[in-house]
Amino acid sequence: MNDMSPEKKKSGLAKWSRRGFIGAGVLAGGGLLIGIGVRPGNPIGSLASKVAPGAGEQLVNSWVKIDMNNVVTAIVPHCEMGQGAHSVLAQMLADELDAAWDQVQVMQAPADGSYVVSDTARMFAAPFTLNAADWLEPTWDGLFTQLGKSMDLLITGGSSSIRTTGQNQMRIAGAAARQMLVGAAADAWGVPASEIATRDSVLTHEASGNSAPYSEFATAAAEQSMDHTPTLKTRDQYRLMGRSKARTDIPAKVNGTAEFGIDAVPEGLELSYAAVVRPPVPGTNVTAMDASRAEGMPGVLQILNMGNFVAVVADSYWQAQQAVNTVQIDWSQSESPVRTMDDQFAVFAAALDEAGETGGNQAAARGDAPAALAEAATVLEAEYRAPYLAHAPMEPLNCTAHVADGKCAIWTSTQVPLMARSEVASTIGIGADDITIHHPYLGGAFGRRLGSEYVAMAARVAQATGYPVKMIWSREEDTQKALYRCADMSRMRAGLSESGALVAYDSVFTQRHDPAEACVPAIYNIANTSVRVAEAELHLPFQAWRSVDHSQQGFFIESFIDEAAHAAGTDPLEYRLAMVENAPRHKAVLEKLAEISNWRGPNAEGTAKGVAIVESFGTIVAEVIEVDMTSGKPKMTNCWAVCDAGYVMNPDGFRNQIEGGIVFGLTAAMYGELELKDGAIVQSNFHDYKMLRMDEVPNIEVALINSGDVPVGGAGEPGLPPAAPALANAIFAATGRRLRELPIAKQFT
Amino acid sequence: MASFILNGRPVTVDADPAMPILWVVREKVGLSGTKFGCGIAQCGACTVHLDGQPVRSCSTSISQAEGREVTTIEGVAGPDGELSKVQQAWVSEQVPQCGYCQSGQIMSATALLRDNPSPTDADIDAAMSGNICRCGTYTRIRRAIKVAAGQEPPRTEAMGEEA
Amino acid sequence: MRNRAILAASLLTVMVTACGSSEQPEVLEQIVVRERGEAAPIVQADPAAPTDLAALGEDAFQMCSGCHAIEAGAPSSAGPNLRGVVGRVAGSLDGYPYSDALTGSEVTWDEASLDLYLADPAGYLPGTDMLAGAVRDEENRAAIIAYLASTSTDDSE
Repeated sequence: MNDMSPEKKKSGLAKWSRRGFIGAGVLAGGGLLIGIGVRPGNPIGSLASKVAPGAGEQLVNSWVKIDMNNVVTAIVPHCEMGQGAHSVLAQMLADELDAAWDQVQVMQAPADGSYVVSDTARMFAAPFTLNAADWLEPTWDGLFTQLGKSMDLLITGGSSSIRTTGQNQMRIAGAAARQMLVGAAADAWGVPASEIATRDSVLTHEASGNSAPYSEFATAAAEQSMDHTPTLKTRDQYRLMGRSKARTDIPAKVNGTAEFGIDAVPEGLELSYAAVVRPPVPGTNVTAMDASRAEGMPGVLQILNMGNFVAVVADSYWQAQQAVNTVQIDWSQSESPVRTMDDQFAVFAAALDEAGETGGNQAAARGDAPAALAEAATVLEAEYRAPYLAHAPMEPLNCTAHVADGKCAIWTSTQVPLMARSEVASTIGIGADDITIHHPYLGGAFGRRLGSEYVAMAARVAQATGYPVKMIWSREEDTQKALYRCADMSRMRAGLSESGALVAYDSVFTQRHDPAEACVPAIYNIANTSVRVAEAELHLPFQAWRSVDHSQQGFFIESFIDEAAHAAGTDPLEYRLAMVENAPRHKAVLEKLAEISNWRGPNAEGTAKGVAIVESFGTIVAEVIEVDMTSGKPKMTNCWAVCDAGYVMNPDGFRNQIEGGIVFGLTAAMYGELELKDGAIVQSNFHDYKMLRMDEVPNIEVALINSGDVPVGGAGEPGLPPAAPALANAIFAATGRRLRELPIAKQFT
Repeated sequence: MASFILNGRPVTVDADPAMPILWVVREKVGLSGTKFGCGIAQCGACTVHLDGQPVRSCSTSISQAEGREVTTIEGVAGPDGELSKVQQAWVSEQVPQCGYCQSGQIMSATALLRDNPSPTDADIDAAMSGNICRCGTYTRIRRAIKVAAGQEPPRTEAMGEEA
Repeated sequence: MRNRAILAASLLTVMVTACGSSEQPEVLEQIVVRERGEAAPIVQADPAAPTDLAALGEDAFQMCSGCHAIEAGAPSSAGPNLRGVVGRVAGSLDGYPYSDALTGSEVTWDEASLDLYLADPAGYLPGTDMLAGAVRDEENRAAIIAYLASTSTDDSE
């Protein structure tokens, strides 16, 4: 399978310029191996350019093998951080392959060049909207391995696992493998392929009485010609897709055996432990360090001034942390003019002032918004604000590293193992080929683990000590010295006609990351729209945070639409319905939401409801939050959500993600805020960076609509964006008080 | 030296008496199911039982455990690995997402149900509000506790269907 | 099509090269206290250490120290600084954001009220933010309270 003659290599590269490949080979020891590579969808592509400067679009490889024990194994480039990707990908593969469900397993691709390839040239049309398989080119095994030598990217994010790897790789690989197995059996049995049935990993020809497990023909199947456009099942043929199969990672997560990055205990290595202190103000460095107290503390091995952080290495993490807490560090002066959040908002306001009513970079335009605003019967103006937020995954950032003999081994929770590897390579001067990254389960990520500065830090400490070190950040470090969801400010204007219809919309804000369309109220039919960006500097370093720009833009846009509805004297849900008149999917979502939330009926005693709808990552989600204000403080009592992702592969898993997105969004809405003092973050741990807890979370009911033939939407992020505006709108309905900044709880003390 | 009973077995380790139980169990004994989340008893990820009572092991020193019984998530299942009722409910309700906080959630829920076999929603709020789940699985945790208490039937695959 | 493919290949080469040539940060100071495996300097327990209740409490207070500072003037963290708490009106330390349960409690902390509170914080003052840290062991509780009582905000140490 490693026939790499120059001639073939050349033709292979020529084929590489197509949009994707599929190839088959024989496994060592017998069995069928299928490799498949595609360029994933749009959001992830632009995200990638942010987290790995210089790298652009990427190709992602998956491998499917059928071994001699009849076990089907898929090796996928996605980590499992709680989104259930591994299980759903297995469902999609097993269904197309007609494999026995209990004999399909999904493994995570190791961070190794053979598994993933990347393409920096941005040369391909987006395959995301194409029907599966019509863009695939058959190729031969080995090409992936060859290309993989130069790869760099392997990402889990952008709610993309099912949409790209599942739809474009697992299903096609499964269907192609099934056809090849059938072809091999037909040849052997001398019967027409069309008469062979497949079910539960067994091939059967009823007329001749022949029957055999897949493994019997797995090796021969590799010799069959590869159909790169295999026939995929239609929905009525699904046996596993669309079912709530139990997730395969859950049993290990209830008995303590699931291994997360922080649990790594590399075999045969004696670990020491590091605790670190990073600069309180971003971009500053250590100018002086007094470690005299730490030197005398129990368990301490080394104290390191690493320039941009201080580390103490000790026999246990707890000893290291106690010791590092006593190190007196002087930091250089920050050049940032921002010392407080008032300063940061002043920076934003200055940029917005300069942009005025028409300036800034035009992000989207339709009709003539300035003219329509000038002629509108009523013009609404509002300024909205969103604070900085930390990701705060439950597993604090950590990394175990061992650098010895010119090689480096890393154990860490990361969303981007290959970029982490590059970062380590350039930081400690060891070639990427000599670095191995082991990446077990992630104890949450939410975008935080798209950055990998902590991995490089651990590698530096391990290199300096020469022995294996497990570095763990305290929660305080994780909260105060990390990467953040950006703060922002948006100035919005709406023009209403005599009848109250929204005829003009203008917004200008300072931050635009991903997805690019998040700032546009595109789901509504508004004749004149102008969306502008007036860029302004952020004091804290940015990192994509669950749903990225939708997290703040969803709040801005959907709160402001609510203002327009009230100004028009129209019910907010009916107002939105009127603006999606020609969008049947959005209309159906809102109608179903009205029904399950009893929107048009009377409110329960002492409560009021608010609504919001956001389409993000290919999924439309509308939510109603019911709030009880009788105590003077918001108490969330119920939440109803309706989602249309086109088609949901695992309804219960999808619901779990939406429920989680809602709680994440409501947590940010109620409590999420990082304040600055002297340029440093004030909040430090869960006592002042608060999370919603059991007693504060409303009942949540999630309804799903499978609207049909559209690309399958994501699950991890789309539940979040409507949560904050739905809550703020509910509070307005209850109190008449419009909340134009977050968080909410402190505004009701 | 610290001597205590860990999941039914006597253990003696060489540890600073002030070292929290969390780090003794994770680093000295090698049981990693108990998780570090905040270090200040705010998140509950490190919850273990000390003589049957749930405590935050990140903020309870090993000297407090001297001669006493410490139970971690690894000691919740039966001797042959059979999952407890609470753990079974966590599976049937498909509670975990990332799973990192769930050891602590299960330890808190186990203690709740032992002391109060039919908890009300308010009882569940009181017992579980010390445990943070960043993935937001609270509604499922609540349901799983009710399933474990026999107040609600376990979910089956078909119950997850819709649309 | 072929030209584009070649372009892609050469870009990859450039990128990989660029990766390897980044400047590597330096370690500015490395203090080696001891090598691994080398026995730690033995810190002998002071044989003359007092065995009174307050001293026992000082050790037991470790379990509280994650949230509560005790050193004079140290800033409050998750919980308020407890130096001199005996005799203090509940919820009265300047600058600490107490729950309504504490500020409205009208409790002045003494041995008895601390004993009740530490045994079951939410039972004694429902609504307290002290969700963890109950001291259920009676002897430990007594020792911790004795230790707290031995501290004072007046001392200048």
